[in-house]
Amino acid sequence: MAILATGFLMVGRRSLTALVRFYALQNVLLAGLAFALSEEGHLVFAGVVLLVLKGVLIPFFLLALLKRLAVSHEVESYLSIPLSLLFGGALVAVGFRAGKAFALPGAALPEAVPVAISLILLGMLSMATRKKAVTQVLGFLALENGVFLLALSETQGLPLFIEIGVALDAFAAVVLAGILIRRIKQIFGHLDTARMQELKG
Amino acid sequence: MLWLLLLLPLASAAWAYREKNLNRLSLVAAGVPLVSLAIAVLGQGAKNGLLELDGVGFFYLVLADLIFTLVALYARGYWAASHDTHAPAFFAPFFAFIFTTHGAYLTHNLGLMWIFVESSTLASAFLVYHHHNSRALEATWKYLMLGSVGIALGLIGVILVYAVLGGATLDWGEAKGLIGGVNPAGLKLAFAFLLIGFGTKVGLFPMHAWLPDAHSESPSPGSALLSGTLLNVAFYALVRYTSLLESAGLGSYVHKLLLGFGLASVFAAALFLIAQKDYKRLLAYSSMEHMGLGVYALGLGAPWLALLHTLFHSLCKTAAFLSAGNLSLAFGSTDIDKASGSARSWPAAGFAFVLAGLALAGLPPFPLFFAEFQALLLSPAALMPFYLLGLGLAFAGLAGAITQIGFGTPSALQVLPRARILVWVPAALLLLALVLGVLPPAEWAKNIAEVLR
Repeated sequence: MAILATGFLMVGRRSLTALVRFYALQNVLLAGLAFALSEEGHLVFAGVVLLVLKGVLIPFFLLALLKRLAVSHEVESYLSIPLSLLFGGALVAVGFRAGKAFALPGAALPEAVPVAISLILLGMLSMATRKKAVTQVLGFLALENGVFLLALSETQGLPLFIEIGVALDAFAAVVLAGILIRRIKQIFGHLDTARMQELKG
Repeated sequence: MLWLLLLLPLASAAWAYREKNLNRLSLVAAGVPLVSLAIAVLGQGAKNGLLELDGVGFFYLVLADLIFTLVALYARGYWAASHDTHAPAFFAPFFAFIFTTHGAYLTHNLGLMWIFVESSTLASAFLVYHHHNSRALEATWKYLMLGSVGIALGLIGVILVYAVLGGATLDWGEAKGLIGGVNPAGLKLAFAFLLIGFGTKVGLFPMHAWLPDAHSESPSPGSALLSGTLLNVAFYALVRYTSLLESAGLGSYVHKLLLGFGLASVFAAALFLIAQKDYKRLLAYSSMEHMGLGVYALGLGAPWLALLHTLFHSLCKTAAFLSAGNLSLAFGSTDIDKASGSARSWPAAGFAFVLAGLALAGLPPFPLFFAEFQALLLSPAALMPFYLLGLGLAFAGLAGAITQIGFGTPSALQVLPRARILVWVPAALLLLALVLGVLPPAEWAKNIAEVLR
C-alpha cells in the first residue's frame, strides 16, 4: 500500500527534487518487500542490489543531473495537478480492476498484483502528460518498478542474475538519458520534449 | 568457444572507445564479425552453459555478421568521403551492438534474451545520436523512450510466462517441453504483452513511431545496421515466443494476432511510403512494411518463410541504405527532389539504388518476390485481397520515388566520391540477393525451422 502511495505522490508533486526522493523511497520500500518475501537467499541479494542501484545510485545521479542543469525544478504538465491526481485515481481503479485478471493462480503475493499494475499505469501517465525530459525518465523508472513488483508478486521475482541484468539495463538507460538531456538543454535551452518536433511524416 | 562470440566484440568495443585511427578501426570492425562468422560455423549446434547455438540462432547470427562485415567495409569509404570529425565515435557502439546481437542469438534463456534485446536498443541509440544535432537528438530521445517503455511491457510478458510455468524454468527448450498443460489464459495475456513489447522494436503499427526517425537520422552505415540487423533481433524473439505458444496449443490465437498486426503495419507503412519526400525515411517505412510482412508470414504458421523474408529483406535493405548513403554524400541532401536523376549523374550509385528499390518493391527476379508470392499462396482466402492491396499500395509508393531518384530531372551533384568500395558493397549485396532470388533456398530454410516445431 505504501508503495502505491509513493507512486501516487509522484503524480501529485510539483517539485522535481521531491519526485526523485519519492522515487528513492519507493525503491527502499520495494527492497524491503523483497527482504520480507525472501525464504531463500536470492531475494535478499536482489533486495541489496536493488537498494544500491535504484535506491542510491540512480536517485543520486538524477539529483546531480538536476543540479547541473540548473533548470526550474517545477514539473510542467499538460494537466493541472488536481486533474493529474484525478486521472491517476482513475488509472489506479482500472489497475485494481484489471489486476485481478493478472493475478495468476499460484502467485506468491496476489494482493500486490493490482498495485503493480497501477504503478505501471501511473508511470505511463507521467510519461505521456509531462513535458520535461527529466520527468519522463522518472515516469519510466516508476513503470519499471511496477514491473519489478509484478515479478515479485507473481513468482517471487525472476532469477537473481536476470534481475540484476534488468536493473543494470535500467541504470544504463538512465545514464544515456542523462547524456541526452544535457545535450537537449545545451542545444534547445529548455527541456520541453513537446517542443521537439522537427521530424514528421 | 561460444563465449568468444561475446568476448571478442566486447573487448573490441573497449578498445575502440579510445582508438582514433579510422583505418585501424574499420579494419577491426570488418575483421571481428568475419572471425565471429567462422567461430559460429565451427560452433554450430554447440551448447555451453547458458549459451546455445541452434539452427535458427545460427541463421540469424550468420546473417547479422555478414551484414556487419559488409557495412564495416563500406563505412571505411563512407567516413573518408564524409569528412566527419566524429567518425571514430561510430565504432565503439558498433562493437557494443555486435555484442548485444550475438548475445540475443546465443542465449536460450528468455530473461537473458530480453536483457540483450534491451541492451541492443541502448547500443544502437548511440548510432542514431551520431550527428549530435537537434534532429538526431529528437530521434534518439524518441527511440530511447518508446523503445524502453515498449520493452518494459515485453518484460511483463516474460514475467507472466515465467509465472505461468510456476517459476520452473526460463530456458526456451525446457519451457517448450513444459508448456503443454499450463493455464492458457495467462499465456494469452503474456503473449499480448510480448507482442507489444518486441513488436515495438520490430516496428509494428501502431508502435512504430520511433522507426522512421531513428533510421533517417542515423548516418547511413548506422541506418543499414538498424534495418538489416536490429529489427531482426526483436523479430527473432517473436519467432521464439510464437513457437513456444504453438507448443502450448495456442497457435490459432497467436496467428490471428500476428496476421492482424502484420497486415496493419503493411497498410500503415504503405500510406507513409506514398506521401514520402525523404528517401531515407522512404527506406525506413519500407522496413516497417517488410517487418509487417515477416510477422504476417509468422502468422501464417510458416516460420521458415518468415526467416527467409527477413533474410531477403536484410540483404536488399542494407544495399538500399548504403546506396542512399552514396546519394547523400553526392547530393548533400536526403530529399528525393534534390537527388533526382542520379542514374545519369552517378550511374553506379544511382542504378544500385534503383535496383535495391525494385528488389524492395518485390519485383522478380529479386528474392522478396519469391517470399511475398509464397505468402500469398499460404494466405487464407479471406485475407488475400487485403494482402494484395497492401502490397500494391506499398509498391506504388516505392515505385514513384525510385523512378524520380533514378531518372528524374538531374539535380546538381555536389561531389563525386571516388572510393570504389562505396559502390562495390551494395553491388555485392544485390548480386547475392539476385542469386537467392533465382535459387530460393526454401528447403534449407524449412530444415532450419525444424527446431521451432
